[in-house]
Amino acid sequence: MDIRYQLEKPVVLDVQMQVRDFTVLLGLSGEGKTLLLKAIAGLIPARGHPFAGLAAERRPIGYLPQGYALFPHLRAWENVAFPLPRGAGRRAQAMNLLTRVGLADLAERYPAALSGGQRQRVALARALARRPELLLLDEPTSALDMATRDEILDELIREVHDFGVPVLAVSHDPHLAMLADHMAVLLDGRVVQEGPPRAVFARPATMRAARLLGFRNFLTGRVAEIERSGMVVAGADWRLRADLQHGMRPGMAVTVAIRSEDLVPGEALGGAAPNVLKLQVAALREEGVALRVRMGGTVCLDMLLPRMQCAGRSLVLGAELWVQVAPEHVHVMAE
Amino acid sequence: MSDAATLAIVASRQPPARWLATLTAAAVLVFLLAPFAALVFATDWHDFQFAPGDLGAIRVSLFYSGLALMLVVLAGTPLAWWLAHCHYRGKWLVDALLLLPLLTPPLAMGILLSSFYGPYAPVGGLFRQAGLYLTNTAPAFVLAQIYGAMPYYVLAARAAFEGVSEELEQISRTLGRNRWQTFWLVTLPLARLGLTAGVALAWVRAMGEFGIVLIVAYFPQGIPVKLWVNLQDIGLSAVYPLLWVFFLVAVPLPLWLGLRSRRQGMF
Repeated sequence: MDIRYQLEKPVVLDVQMQVRDFTVLLGLSGEGKTLLLKAIAGLIPARGHPFAGLAAERRPIGYLPQGYALFPHLRAWENVAFPLPRGAGRRAQAMNLLTRVGLADLAERYPAALSGGQRQRVALARALARRPELLLLDEPTSALDMATRDEILDELIREVHDFGVPVLAVSHDPHLAMLADHMAVLLDGRVVQEGPPRAVFARPATMRAARLLGFRNFLTGRVAEIERSGMVVAGADWRLRADLQHGMRPGMAVTVAIRSEDLVPGEALGGAAPNVLKLQVAALREEGVALRVRMGGTVCLDMLLPRMQCAGRSLVLGAELWVQVAPEHVHVMAE
Repeated sequence: MSDAATLAIVASRQPPARWLATLTAAAVLVFLLAPFAALVFATDWHDFQFAPGDLGAIRVSLFYSGLALMLVVLAGTPLAWWLAHCHYRGKWLVDALLLLPLLTPPLAMGILLSSFYGPYAPVGGLFRQAGLYLTNTAPAFVLAQIYGAMPYYVLAARAAFEGVSEELEQISRTLGRNRWQTFWLVTLPLARLGLTAGVALAWVRAMGEFGIVLIVAYFPQGIPVKLWVNLQDIGLSAVYPLLWVFFLVAVPLPLWLGLRSRRQGMF
């Protein structure tokens, strides 16, 4: 499904993107992601398609806001039955939907007596009761605690796949985007990149998109050499091999982006291996079971070491450290 | 300063003991309720009888207060909803104007109504030409009660509507319900406690309205004016039976609703 929506107030938005299966629109807080969903739902005035000119109650969409907005005065099954026309089969239809999301046993409960994940599933069943053509999810991970988040997300994605309704979820959580079938990146009110998460996470289009997607290391330099199998980018005191990327020319000013988790200690490899840099440990910080190492020297880099690679390694401040990055993990962007 | 004096100052800064707070609260409660207890003792239970015309006053109060309450709810609910939902520049002025009838002393309000709806006033004159007299008539009585009760109802109902999450109303729209259905299925049920409090408040105000009624509609006499007449014509002892009836019909509804809203956790 192609979507194009434009908004002037309270923020300027011009979003054009595709929605395929479970799609995530990733953007920073305050970018207007919720406004976009409300515009598509017909709750605020906006120009765009599909559904242009239809009143909110006539648009074939299902909308799950943050916190899910279940009606507190209605039981779970009554919430699900809310959009259904009055009739003999109303309760049976609602119960059928609740059964499909695994909550038939809790049908008589009020929302206050349900957990965050259960509320989300009731809200999903309620939104699907209208047989929408598009399901809109606003920050679906925001009301979930870390302990159960992944499990509930897996269930949510499985359920929306089962129902076969395309989903547009907006979020600032890259983790959610990684689980999507399709994703887009929203920056300054526009979609700057879209595609399968694997491609977008590997090759962000701009430095700001890269930051949003979790890149922490950025180096500015120039394209030094273009070869058949790859290219070399270089700064004042460093040279890195990278995979060949379209549109690059020798001498072109570029920004190199490297993920912290793609850097690995490489002292055993010595200076002969590609992309090995000799740096000094500038700061160390434990992050759960991993270790974040901030390094200085010819360049400043940030490395996240999983605990398997920490074992037997004595890292101290000021110590020299060889680090390596595979050429396919060196992402080069034209400036 | 000696150690003993320092200790005394520190001790005096301690929060008052719990028993002192309880005692103060009990004293204030007794002060507030004592006059009601006095009614029990002041009533001559062996000679408990209504004065002539009391039953008629009860009928007038019950019937016309019910009518006034219905009109207050019918007219006040849309106004309260509009005040709660519509946001525009200069809304503070509308809010201030709404408080005007609330802050005006009832007697002054009665004089204002007389000046506006009286038979020789411009608007009252128009009504008179249409055969509707708005002084000392049943419509005047209801009009006075409406002016006494509606501001209270509108304020309470507005607060009740403002307490309903706009997001829930929006979700209802995305679930295929139009604005009117959303009002009935979402807004009204969620605002019901506040609205019933407003209804109870308006009921008490309409039943007990004296100042405005005294000026605009001395006749037909409802309970408050009849109490006044009995007091003037017969004496204090003649008002107690009617006073008991007033308490019995006016107070239970708001009392019950107040207790219910305090005890009932929402859903």
